[in-house]
Amino acid sequence: MKNKLYLILTFIFLIIMMINIPVFAHKVNIFAYVEGDKVYSESYFNDGKKCVDSKIEVFDNQGDKLLEGLTDEEGMFSFEIPPEDVIDGDLKIVLIASMGHRAEYTISADELGDTVGSIKEKLEEPVSVVSPEVSSFDLKEIQSLIEDALDKKLKPIMKEIKKSQEDKISPTEIIGGIGYIIGIFGIIAYFLSRKR
Amino acid sequence: MHISEGILSVPVLVAGAGLTATAVGYSLKKMEHKEVPKVAILSSVFFVASLIHVPLGPSSVHLILNGIMGVLLGWTAFPAILVALALQGVLFQFGGITTLGVNTLNMALPAIICFYLFSKGIRSENNLIAFSLAFVCGFLAVLLSGVMVAAALVFTGEPFIQVAKLVLITHLPVMILEGVLTVFCIGFLRKVRPEILDV
Repeated sequence: MKNKLYLILTFIFLIIMMINIPVFAHKVNIFAYVEGDKVYSESYFNDGKKCVDSKIEVFDNQGDKLLEGLTDEEGMFSFEIPPEDVIDGDLKIVLIASMGHRAEYTISADELGDTVGSIKEKLEEPVSVVSPEVSSFDLKEIQSLIEDALDKKLKPIMKEIKKSQEDKISPTEIIGGIGYIIGIFGIIAYFLSRKR
Repeated sequence: MHISEGILSVPVLVAGAGLTATAVGYSLKKMEHKEVPKVAILSSVFFVASLIHVPLGPSSVHLILNGIMGVLLGWTAFPAILVALALQGVLFQFGGITTLGVNTLNMALPAIICFYLFSKGIRSENNLIAFSLAFVCGFLAVLLSGVMVAAALVFTGEPFIQVAKLVLITHLPVMILEGVLTVFCIGFLRKVRPEILDV
């Protein structure tokens, strides 16, 4: 009786221990965002450690490799958005860390298009209305000012999004998983008992 | 330890899945009715152990426990590890579904090897012999798993020296930790539940 209690207590202790504890190297994460005309990416392991010197490969939606590089000691890697005639659609950023860990992140075409496309559109529209040279210069300046301001304002939000992607393992999932295991072996036990 | 999707080449994946399926089939056929609860409990332990993160120096490591699984379960370690890994893959995205076969093989085969090498020794009357064998058991199981991960990567085409070095460096702390933990577990079981050690 005492032994049984001991076992149960140990089990409960194990479950409590790993609540909210990040895990090590089961998984890598990559997060990327567009800022100005560049794409920035951050790579990190599940326990928050940065992936240093890990390989990053960028693919277009046809699956062709556009470029590759290594992350720096902060786990960051950035590259300029390739010109529009090279990419038409989403960009897939693949992180290949050591020991068989891999993650990918897709930047949608809208996200990329916003920065590259909008300048062109805006430049073309009002040009005919006012004197072309002055307005296009102003628009360009306004555009870059707005972008700077937005980038600054959005940075904390980007950080929040990144944080929320760092998935913590919830106790519900752990207990659910144990439940599944017991259930699966219950089924096995049922079939074994029918065999006899 | 958990190899992600999209890393390994197809022949390696197929070979891993095939071998795992064979081993699981064999052990399910061999499995005794009365063994099932033990397998289920140890499968849950394995499932949870990989989530526990032990701070060690600047980084942290997680437990695998395949040495203990091996000596306590024998061949039934295969279905136990398969089920636990499948759930880790589905719930937490550790590893992946296509790599399930390879990952199971990487962790369960060393467990079986440890079963044949140590399951008699750790029941020895002599405490010193039993405990040192328990340490070697935990240590060796992780080492072999690391070697198998490295082999899977090398067969896919990564340079051997680089992979081997990395595996050794990253696994050494885990090996020692698992060795010590195996000693404690076996010591505890010898005291309170010696019949569990009879496979």
